[in-house]
Amino acid sequence: MPTAKDLQSLTDQEVVGLARAGKEAAYRELLRRYERPVFSLIYRMVRDRELAEDLAQESFVKVLNALDSYRPEYKFSSWIFKIANNAAIDQLRRRELVTLSLDGAPDARTADEVEATALQAVDQTESPLEELESRELGKSIEQAIARLRPEYRACILLRHVEGRSYEEIAEALDLPLGTVKTYIHRARHELRESLGPLRG
Amino acid sequence: MTDKQLSPSQRDEMLVRELSRLPSFAPSRGFPANVMARVRRPQPKAVVLYRRAKAWALEPRRALVLGGAYAAVAVAALWVAVPWVVANTPAIRFVTAQVSGWFFEAIQDGALAAAGWAVSSGVAEFVRSLSLTGDRLFIALATLTVGYAGCGVGLHYLLRTPRGQDVALQHSF
Repeated sequence: MPTAKDLQSLTDQEVVGLARAGKEAAYRELLRRYERPVFSLIYRMVRDRELAEDLAQESFVKVLNALDSYRPEYKFSSWIFKIANNAAIDQLRRRELVTLSLDGAPDARTADEVEATALQAVDQTESPLEELESRELGKSIEQAIARLRPEYRACILLRHVEGRSYEEIAEALDLPLGTVKTYIHRARHELRESLGPLRG
Repeated sequence: MTDKQLSPSQRDEMLVRELSRLPSFAPSRGFPANVMARVRRPQPKAVVLYRRAKAWALEPRRALVLGGAYAAVAVAALWVAVPWVVANTPAIRFVTAQVSGWFFEAIQDGALAAAGWAVSSGVAEFVRSLSLTGDRLFIALATLTVGYAGCGVGLHYLLRTPRGQDVALQHSF
């Protein structure tokens, strides 16, 4: 039986193979690998922590219960990001949550709603000054990302925040490669335009 | 240097760097457990086949047909077997006597060999020297019985496996 360390050295495809054989540890390894990227993507798309957690959970349950239908010629990461992105886009369409601010959704009326829709960073290991600067900059970027069209947002997040290749993004979002490149180019342009005045 | 003094490619590089530095977010601590609670893990094929067969056979009409078929086969088998046994009783009795004779002969030979070994190796002398009679014999037998029972209980606890629940594999790492 492979140990947790053994599993860490395996490729996604190999871990999926073990999960298909019913190994619980393999399921947990897939969860460990993708819980943060998937949750981060959905959270940045829908801007609501509880909702993002529900959607991430749904995405994982859908993927892990359908491992038998997974085709190894595709990247596992593309598959899981596709499911996660579709869940987020469906939610955005349903709730029409297209433009939101970092400090909370514009339609948030109560303090609880504002808090629920505000982004909360987990990693904070810098000095207070760096943290302040980084938080200010991060806040501006998050705000700028939030103003992007959902499809631009998904592309730019997958490319530059999650570090995925263009091919993988095209596979995940079911878009032609050229369209992905165009979206990312336009998204970067819009972000530069949004962030330009802030930098002077 | 302000943003306006940078070339477009420099501004692009800066933006990409800033994007890559955005923090990643973690779901709540119970997230993996919540997901795992809703995941249906595949069962071993033998278990799946057994469950399917059981479910198939337990469907009321099929169960009735299968039960009827089983009874019919049993009656047919008896219909053939009983006359055959009656017709071949002397032969069956001869073979049974032969086989049981071999069996008891083997046990007798074994017991004689064990007794011969006990006498020749000095074990019998040793046991006799212990003069296990009355209270001593009772204590020796009681100690042996308790010892065997203890070993039995110990083996049971060592070898028992959890049933009816999944073992959390990560605990064994």
